[in-house]
Amino acid sequence: MGSKYVLGVSCFYHDASAALLKDEVVVAAAEEERFTRKKHDASFPVNAIKYCLGSQSININDVDYIGFYEKPFLKFERILYQHIDSFPKSYKTFVSALPSWFSEKLRVVKMFKKKLNCKKPILFIEHHLAHAASTFLVSPFKEAAILTVDGVGEWTTTAYGFGKENEINLIKEIKFPHSLGLLYSTITAYLGFSVNNSEYKVMGLSPYGNMDRKTNPYYDKLKQVIDIKQDGSYRLDMSYFVYHYKDRMPSQKLCNLLGGPVEKRGVDMTQRHKDIAAALQMITEEVITKILKHIHSETKMDDLVIAGGVALNSVYNGKILRNTPFEKIWIQPNASDGGTSIGVASYIYHTLLRHKRSYKFDNAYLGPSFSTDEVKSFLDKNSIRYDTFKDEKDLIEKTSSLLFEDKVIGWFQKGMEWGPRALGARSILSNPLNPKMQEILNAKVKHREKFRPFAPVVCAEDAKVYFDCDDPLPEPVDYMLMVYSIKEKWRNKIPSVTHVDGSGRLQTIRRNQNRQYYDLIKAFGKKSGIPILINTSFNIRGEPIVCTPYDAYKCMMGTGIDYLVIDKFIVKRDNNLQHAWDSEKYTND
Amino acid sequence: MVGQKSFGENIGVVVNSALLSVVYFAGVGVTSIVAKIGGKKFLEKDLDESGKSYWSDLSLGKKQIREYYRQF
Repeated sequence: MGSKYVLGVSCFYHDASAALLKDEVVVAAAEEERFTRKKHDASFPVNAIKYCLGSQSININDVDYIGFYEKPFLKFERILYQHIDSFPKSYKTFVSALPSWFSEKLRVVKMFKKKLNCKKPILFIEHHLAHAASTFLVSPFKEAAILTVDGVGEWTTTAYGFGKENEINLIKEIKFPHSLGLLYSTITAYLGFSVNNSEYKVMGLSPYGNMDRKTNPYYDKLKQVIDIKQDGSYRLDMSYFVYHYKDRMPSQKLCNLLGGPVEKRGVDMTQRHKDIAAALQMITEEVITKILKHIHSETKMDDLVIAGGVALNSVYNGKILRNTPFEKIWIQPNASDGGTSIGVASYIYHTLLRHKRSYKFDNAYLGPSFSTDEVKSFLDKNSIRYDTFKDEKDLIEKTSSLLFEDKVIGWFQKGMEWGPRALGARSILSNPLNPKMQEILNAKVKHREKFRPFAPVVCAEDAKVYFDCDDPLPEPVDYMLMVYSIKEKWRNKIPSVTHVDGSGRLQTIRRNQNRQYYDLIKAFGKKSGIPILINTSFNIRGEPIVCTPYDAYKCMMGTGIDYLVIDKFIVKRDNNLQHAWDSEKYTND
Repeated sequence: MVGQKSFGENIGVVVNSALLSVVYFAGVGVTSIVAKIGGKKFLEKDLDESGKSYWSDLSLGKKQIREYYRQF
């Protein structure tokens, strides 16, 4: 009997993606943004689908089942109800938003036909069920409690339940317009950041604020906008919001409550902004802690899986096992909407087709990879000057020496990462021991806000030496999904990755996941005495992470990255200045 | 050609906006007014400060596969 292929697709809201299962194994997955180079691209993921199919040398007709990550008509019902409820205040959004529903969002089946000449029927899985499946069905657990929290799906914004073997039951929900995710997005917008993009910046800003509930002046104010019950269920006071009928989020009443208008983009963050971010983070943590304690008492299960955009709140994720009775946790690296394509495909294969589970997600390098010949051909065709490493030992030795000399390295190996974080396949690496490295990286490449530190990567068995992490180390740490405190004695030794509160959003790496990356960190450790590197995403500010050798080379030549280590080749920027350009002239973040 | 295309697109936007305005006021508007008179709520926005919980029941689990071919 031949293999069964199942394709999962998500699109038309943000972070469109495709994932392909061969039997139960996720063999390919990617987000559309990496191909179109438009950050958070929501369009039909034709490029991501073609990549997934091409990776297995099959075409769309070889796919046995296709799944979509929501029920579009149910979502449309919610949109119509919003407009009826808000009449006549919603007129502008009705006229501007409705055409896209008729041209694409309600025509999913036709889009498959038009873009892929595919006439197969499509299976439509409810949005939060797709989230739940995206985490539980690929988790290491046979049984687990499940929490999904995001902005909004069809109607649900928060749901919980449990998974057993290959079945999932979501038993309670909170419905739109009440949404923890949309509360976070509203404050993100209020602080002048972009919604569905910069929530993580607000999370990163929060430790600079007053994290004391009693003295933070905005904590009590923000508590007025949300009514939280003892079981963690909540509702928002909708007089503080306008997202249910306008294309912006905070109301004038919320602006008055927080003492000023919505901030303009790029404004310098003052203590007031930092305190607002801190208050929001504290309230978010309070709600989720209560919910998780309630879920534990209801399900009596010790293992937990979570999904949805809020599951990317790595600051809180690092506290879950300490703050709640749960003993183990699993989060899939692409926990937000992008990850639901894996969810629908897994749900079809395991739950609907009743196949037992034996697969466990442990490889995030599911995107396009390039052979040595392909990379060499790219370099030669474009007259790029490069050197070739003698062997892998030479590659590790020379690259670790360059890192120790404070050079900034573009690291391009293996298949592109699945999810929003660079995990050692499309990464920019540098030396965390240099106190000026944050400044250097910002000046040369990232140009990010001063309050945002860089992330450390450490080999899994060394994590406990440097970080106060959970024991045993939860697997989501491999995907940069948990923030932990850096041990006091190391903080001033690795200042570039130490946040203002002494924490670090670490990535742990195991040798079986990415041998070269692991060996590089160890080799750097031998030279520096501390086996930790800075790992930040390989991209131009405002663009998605690089996908192809062309993207990587273009990124290096448009920024101040010193070297590109790509497959067995090393490209020095200064040897190729004929291709230099200034990416900062074109950024939009 | 570019000018013609742009002109066509602009006309499309105007026609779409006009049609959607009619739908909005005649369809959405009338439904909204009738619903408000009848006391029907389309979004549950009220707070219940004396209540114990805002969780509502959800029964989202496995159904027959044919149920998933529907978009609703």
